[in-house]
Amino acid sequence: MEKVHTTCVYCGCGCGLFLHVEGGSIVGASPSPAHPMSRGRLCIKGWLAGDFVGHPERLSYPLLRQGDRMVRATWDEALSLAAAKLESIRKEFGPHSLGVLTSAKGTNEENYLLMKLARAALKTNNVDHVARLCHAPTVAALGSALGSGAMTGSFSSLQNSDAILIVGSNTTEQHPLAASYILHAKSRGAKLIVADPRRTRLAELADLWLSPRPGTDVVWINALLNVIVEQDLVDRQFIEKRTTGFEETAEAARAYTPGQAEQISGIAAPDLARAAELFGAADRAAIVYAMGVTQHAQGTDIVQALANLALATGNMGREGTGIYPLRGHQNVQGACDMGALPTVYCGYQSISSPAVRAKFEDAWKAPLPEEPGLTALEMLWAAEAGSLKAMIIVGENPALSFPDSYRVLKALKSLEFLLACDIFPTETTALADILLPAACFAEKEGTFTSTERRVQRVRKAVEPPGEAKAEWEWISELMRRLGHQADYPSPASIMAEIASLTPSYGGIGYERLAAGGLQWPCPSIDHPGTSILHTDRFPQGRARLRPVLYDEPPEMPDADYPFILNTGRSLYHFHTGTMTRRTSLLDREVPTPFVEINSEDARLMGIREGNRVRVETRRGSINAEARLMDALPRGNLFLPIHFSEAPANALTAQAIDPLSKIAELKVSAARLHKVIS
Amino acid sequence: MKAFLEKDRLIPFLNTLSRQIEVIAPLATEAGAVYSTWQGQPLDLRSNPLSPPTEFLLPHKETLFRYIQESGRYTFKEDSIPPRLLFAIRPCDLHAIALLDRIFGSEPSDQAYFRRRRATSLVVLNCTNRGDECFCACLGAGPEAQDPCDLEITDIGDGYLCQAETPAGVLILQAAFNLLQPAQLEHDQEKARRLQLVEDAMPRDRSYHQIRQAIERADWVALGQECLGCGGCSFVCPVCHCFNILDRGVPDGERLRCRDSCILSGFSRLTGGANPRRTAGQRLRHWYQDKFEDLPKITGLPGCVGCGRCHLVCPAPIDRSDLKVESREAKI
Repeated sequence: MEKVHTTCVYCGCGCGLFLHVEGGSIVGASPSPAHPMSRGRLCIKGWLAGDFVGHPERLSYPLLRQGDRMVRATWDEALSLAAAKLESIRKEFGPHSLGVLTSAKGTNEENYLLMKLARAALKTNNVDHVARLCHAPTVAALGSALGSGAMTGSFSSLQNSDAILIVGSNTTEQHPLAASYILHAKSRGAKLIVADPRRTRLAELADLWLSPRPGTDVVWINALLNVIVEQDLVDRQFIEKRTTGFEETAEAARAYTPGQAEQISGIAAPDLARAAELFGAADRAAIVYAMGVTQHAQGTDIVQALANLALATGNMGREGTGIYPLRGHQNVQGACDMGALPTVYCGYQSISSPAVRAKFEDAWKAPLPEEPGLTALEMLWAAEAGSLKAMIIVGENPALSFPDSYRVLKALKSLEFLLACDIFPTETTALADILLPAACFAEKEGTFTSTERRVQRVRKAVEPPGEAKAEWEWISELMRRLGHQADYPSPASIMAEIASLTPSYGGIGYERLAAGGLQWPCPSIDHPGTSILHTDRFPQGRARLRPVLYDEPPEMPDADYPFILNTGRSLYHFHTGTMTRRTSLLDREVPTPFVEINSEDARLMGIREGNRVRVETRRGSINAEARLMDALPRGNLFLPIHFSEAPANALTAQAIDPLSKIAELKVSAARLHKVIS
Repeated sequence: MKAFLEKDRLIPFLNTLSRQIEVIAPLATEAGAVYSTWQGQPLDLRSNPLSPPTEFLLPHKETLFRYIQESGRYTFKEDSIPPRLLFAIRPCDLHAIALLDRIFGSEPSDQAYFRRRRATSLVVLNCTNRGDECFCACLGAGPEAQDPCDLEITDIGDGYLCQAETPAGVLILQAAFNLLQPAQLEHDQEKARRLQLVEDAMPRDRSYHQIRQAIERADWVALGQECLGCGGCSFVCPVCHCFNILDRGVPDGERLRCRDSCILSGFSRLTGGANPRRTAGQRLRHWYQDKFEDLPKITGLPGCVGCGRCHLVCPAPIDRSDLKVESREAKI
């Protein structure tokens, strides 16, 4: 038996684990005791991370569409056809008719290559990935406020916090190892403030639970800042030395009185005062947040409001302080870092800067497009409108994971050409013209970057099934067929190119990535990596506070649709369930789709635990099993996104945050019926 | 039969063995110690790997048999079991194996377990460097091996005192006879002295009875609130042995036996949907109940060997032997 050390494939925590290999297949997994973040611990998904790898439903051969059927083909046939199709569509309709969705499940090397393929070979900046639907507001807001859109500290830093404000994160379920640090901090005396409409596990354990009405976060966060300013709990020295924009931000926040906040957000004024005291008086306070903050039509503003709070209280750049966005996929941080975004190259270098563009043109020996590309949803709507003709979608299942699924399906169906690559058949691969079988995380070499900016190795433990291949191999081959040079003997050589073009990854090379990896920025080969950002200065000099004003969510409950529908994840499943629903113990925990309903609401409607109910919004309806919860406030529904037989995104609103282009996924007006069966 | 093996002859000794049989040993890796096939890699004989060696008898996932359909008839195929030698497992884990033997040996005995058990030779390394969380002496599981094994070795400074306990153990020593020296009386004395030191340093406040009392006293609601439901305590416990069976693949495929954990709610959920252990606290209590009430009644042995792994692997701030939520000075 061999034990191969690698990085977990599920959430952004980036835990280290061993895959146990026997006779060429994975027979188990266990945590790595010496890993600097996970330290010999894993969540249930991590313990079972190797389980889906050898599943018989894995895609094993390239498939080509022939009418309604998919027929087996060779790699050569599939890639020749792909190159020919992409070329002819580009010739006829121009490069703007092409789009690429990369994968937050793929490696850095693969994201970089796909980004390069889009820009250098297809000549379009239409490249994006699922971050658009999770932390695009973080990248936008923290990028502009702090100069870097990533977690400012490390998980281990939370051990030294005196107060932790957790907003819109069900941490014990979605990022269990992050929760481990929070629970330990609490056991050592740190005060916890949890803001979440649902009474989550952390809310139960918290010193203070705030339950805002969904979508009203700007109101209560501004009011909290207002109280903190009024009570002079701000850090004047930090504000003067290291920030701009405090006065106008504080002025704008003054309009948000605790009384008003109570009226709009439902958080009682005394609770807000207590929060101000706990957070403002703490020497070292940290803010942890996730999708409950970002997946709103005002997502960027809410992140900015949190940044304002951290900056006004001087909670930045020291142990125990900072802002901790928890990223959902194990490499969504890396996919962003690699420039799988329509406006930046790797390392967030802007495509609109002529100097940057010249650098990449020079390195890649190809002219590059100037015009910013479309974001993920914009690509799909362009497909629906007929202006985008072809897409490459790798390791992503927009038919289930993107909002307003009926419309997404229609958009995907209207494509002239869809090249999909995945490890299992999905709702999206069912629409592909060419379907390529991918190697999963246990079958290839590469790196993932965790939510704490830790670049870590992924190692090959077993061979991919059938003819499946690592994406970097076929992406290189497709680039060559599109007439672009791409001679990479290994992922290590791709990382060498990444390091040469990406200042924050400048010192990262495979030979330096031992068990603990390296945290970027790591600009040179003798640099030890960076645990805490912004200790002395911000990348742009001073951090920027910016006033934010509340906008009501675009769709509020009314007489026809009286419930607020919230969406999210379960501890036991991941994303669209392609991996976890094929992991027997996880599937046994949550085998069927469910919707959480407040117990009192359910009682009034005559709904019992386990009854089938129909949830409807203006966009669609689904059936699921009722779960009665006291932890959910009245008038709210919560629906997990994992289930293709009850696709939550058939229901979600399509309103878009103008700044980050994320969709409103947390507030949809809905109604509920008991299904008579 | 006793012999002395100088430290610098350990690698040649293992080389000799590994030419005859697959040797599983605690290997040093950049991410910590693991039991894995030894092929000359550096050893870590100081720390007890987090993932216990019982996985070589009761794998995380094993194929019980493969089924192949041909013209409507099924044929079944069992994979062969490779003979193995587990080298330098600790007395606590040996004690766990003794317990597993009783559990799987009760009628009808578990064939899948014993096929592996019979093909496995056990070489135990007595514990002269205990881990911070160990309390094997409280449970009669160490630091000296208390249970049958093939060969027992003890680090006595410049070498290892080797004691064959079974014919298989004698054969192991004979295979590497030219590397060994005769054992002396001083070797025995040095062994006793070293093990006594370890035993004296062992905590005394975690006995079977003390933990039973802690189970009665514990605030299971509070502990359940902290428990993150990872199942890690089951997966690292050398005594935990529950499994689930599933068939994977149609029409051809394999019948798998996979490890399971009573920490998971699906483990105790009834067909109708009700669950006698509905909350995390109830499930955690059950985990202890089985080890300290039920298994002792059934097997005559406590279901805990004091290896301390459940404490090391727990992501929650729970003291796994005091059964309290940890406070300020706790582990991180």
